[in-house]
Amino acid sequence: MTHPLLLIVLLPLFGFLVNGLVGGRAGPRFVSVVGCGFPIAAFAVTVKCFLDLSAGGAPIVDPVYTWAAFDGHSFEVAFAFDRLAAVMTLIVTGVGSLIHVYSIGYMKDDRGYARYFAYLNVFLFFMLMLVLGKSLLILFVGWEGVGLASYLLIGFWFEDADKARAGKKAFITNRVGDAGFLLGMFVLYQAVGTLDMGTINAAFASATPPAVSATLVGILLFIGATGKSAQIPLHVWLPDAMAGPTPVSALIHAATMVTAGVYMTARMSAIYLAAPEASQVIAVVGVATAFFAATIAMVQTDIKKVLAYSTISQLGLMFVAIGVGAYGVAIFHLYTHAFFKACLFLGAGSVIHALGGEQDIRKMGGLARRIPVTFVTFAVATAAIAGIPPLAGFFSKDEILWFALASDRGGSTALFAAASLTALLTAFYMFRLLWLTFFGASRMDAKTEHHVHESPPSMTGVLVVLAIGSAIGGFVAIPHYLEPLLPLPAVQSAMAHFEHPVVYLSVALGFIGLAAAAYFFGGGGTRGDGLRARFAGLHRVLSGKYFVDEAYDALLARPLTWVSERVFLGLGDRMLLDGTLHGLTGFARRTAGVLARVQTGNLQFYLFLAVLGLVAALGWSWQHG
Amino acid sequence: MADTELLVGLGAVLYAAGLVGVMVRRNALVMLMCMELMLNGVNLTLVTFARQTGATEGAVLVFLVFVVAAAEVAIAIPILLLLARARRTLDVEAYAELKG
Amino acid sequence: MIETGLMYFFAAVALGGSIAMLIARHPMRVALALITTMLSLAGIYALLGVHVLAVFQVLIYVGAVMVFMVYVILLIDVRDSAFAQRFSWLLVPGIAGFVGLAAILCFALWRGDSAPGSAAAPPFGVRPFSEVFLNEYWLYFELVSVLLVAAVVAAIAVVKIGTRRHG
Repeated sequence: MTHPLLLIVLLPLFGFLVNGLVGGRAGPRFVSVVGCGFPIAAFAVTVKCFLDLSAGGAPIVDPVYTWAAFDGHSFEVAFAFDRLAAVMTLIVTGVGSLIHVYSIGYMKDDRGYARYFAYLNVFLFFMLMLVLGKSLLILFVGWEGVGLASYLLIGFWFEDADKARAGKKAFITNRVGDAGFLLGMFVLYQAVGTLDMGTINAAFASATPPAVSATLVGILLFIGATGKSAQIPLHVWLPDAMAGPTPVSALIHAATMVTAGVYMTARMSAIYLAAPEASQVIAVVGVATAFFAATIAMVQTDIKKVLAYSTISQLGLMFVAIGVGAYGVAIFHLYTHAFFKACLFLGAGSVIHALGGEQDIRKMGGLARRIPVTFVTFAVATAAIAGIPPLAGFFSKDEILWFALASDRGGSTALFAAASLTALLTAFYMFRLLWLTFFGASRMDAKTEHHVHESPPSMTGVLVVLAIGSAIGGFVAIPHYLEPLLPLPAVQSAMAHFEHPVVYLSVALGFIGLAAAAYFFGGGGTRGDGLRARFAGLHRVLSGKYFVDEAYDALLARPLTWVSERVFLGLGDRMLLDGTLHGLTGFARRTAGVLARVQTGNLQFYLFLAVLGLVAALGWSWQHG
Repeated sequence: MADTELLVGLGAVLYAAGLVGVMVRRNALVMLMCMELMLNGVNLTLVTFARQTGATEGAVLVFLVFVVAAAEVAIAIPILLLLARARRTLDVEAYAELKG
Repeated sequence: MIETGLMYFFAAVALGGSIAMLIARHPMRVALALITTMLSLAGIYALLGVHVLAVFQVLIYVGAVMVFMVYVILLIDVRDSAFAQRFSWLLVPGIAGFVGLAAILCFALWRGDSAPGSAAAPPFGVRPFSEVFLNEYWLYFELVSVLLVAAVVAAIAVVKIGTRRHG
């Protein structure tokens, strides 16, 4: 196989083309086979490449073609497969294929079945381009492409105006981040002369770094990451993105697309190692987002919204790890998060499917006996995210907390305290979700209750696989695997002996969260209501998501609309453009009106004019002849 | 010879007079007759020049102009009569239908 | 000598006839003025030695065309608004145009080069004329016959339209 990486990238594209062009007429079985077959094939090729990499040791590089070459500048399309790319690609293709299989059951009765799989495949194509790209240019193409796929999939049921608007919001917010990303790329190209990531990293890590502020570049690239990975201040699109089908939320907004920001910053680690201020900014933004989102998640009543805010929060924790220089740990958390978050989202999808569309957890309850497989997998994934050992989440979260405290590249007690508090809240709200959804007396209405049934094997099978991954995935030592590429930071000597206490603390936090949730929301759940009544004001602020959307609307959207309407529409379009056009036509009409008076219909008048012409012509010709 | 100048000048004046007559008179038949006057003026110049250069072609052309003028009048009068009957007047001011 | 005198006389008559044409109110008077002009032109042609054309002028122009005109004028009621108001609103511009056109034509004439002298024997007798006409210019002769046929057909068509309109 001469171009294995190109094959990995192109297989989902073929799926998109086939399903997009003929899927509508070919029937659901064809669409399912094509739609899932190509991603599974891509996963198989990825595994082969991974085995080759493990055997050989050298990264696989796959140059495809030169896109543009002029004046000493050259832009190549090339793919590279090193350890980091291996981890990412395995996650993308592996979890992606599982979610494709799940979608067969979930989207079974949907009218846009073929379109759905086509979009899902095109997403996979762009995501693979993103993680396998050798230069920032290819990464950016994939970056934009997944944004497009996200828009298409969030607004999948576009006949509903709200859902279409959510898609638009996601895309536009992403674009704001991309502006920063582009600026960063421009500065990098200006300074280093190439967009090839390996070369850039080598340049920044060398003894003579390029003559540009690494902090500036780092911050600009991070702005792009905030857009894509939903950090403050560009996090507002992710909760709204829950308008899309649940498998989409699982794939794009939990496991893969939103992690692109983390991947990108980890990949450009050399820049961040050379820019401690930028790394500090990342850590602060990450922990602030994590805490902030966790507080909001505590009061959410839609099952998917809780998980959305949870995703934002976990991404924040990943950025904390990036910010303190523990890049491999961030990727490790990305890996475990892919498993348990996908499992949680798909489990939520299973619950929604079982209840015939109900998403409000206040109207659930008592489902544990009735949909047992969903319940067990959901519970395992919840325990994983809460950091209960020996599940996957415990290992990655513990590493993050440890490096937040002890890393010599920015670790501090303040960071550790905030991150720990976030971990506590995470456990609390996740177990709250588990209790309210599955335990207690049923709060469903009669019609929904009749409808409750376990999901088909195509859905539950995937849930089981992902739950197993959430359980044992933590034992794969990813940070160690990535060590040659992304070395772990050294530990501050003063903190060295806190390593074990930190472990105990993080375990304790998980169990405290579990206990608190059981206390408040177990049994009748009345104690939770009492809590809400006591902190009514705070509850209102949290339910309103700190009113960020409203603030954006008032500060940005409204003035912009005003300017568009008054200045550009009123003045520019109506007065200038329309005015010019109307003016020209009016002028033409008036002139024509005046000139038309020549046509009196009177023969003698015409003859007179002819005589005048004749006299003039004769005079002129005899003058000059 | 001085005659040439006189005759050509006369031809020019007859032509101009005919033209002005078409422009100025309101009766359709009179307009037609002024057009005949124009033709006569041209004929006169033709004959004069033919006579001066000794070219018989000039005379031939004059003859052809006679014939054509006759044919023209043969058609123009009936048309004019129809028009006059339709409008009930010979005044060309009433014929200004192609206005605007 | 007499020739020159006659020439001037006929020229004057022609001019007078044309002026009368412009001024006369009754169309019949206009027609008669035109006939006068044509006859004096015929005289000029004869004086120039082109007797063929002089005869044809009288025969065709006066004898056919003007007779037709007179006939029509006799048959039509000419006392309408055009009788009361002879001149259109273009009288003044018209006169100015006339003056301008005549001036420019005469100016061109008197400024122009004089043509070479005339031939010794003017070949404008009947025989030379008809020889040239029917030998070299036979095509135009035929075309003109076609034209006349077309005129006849057209005249019949116009008459038919006329009768169709009125029963």
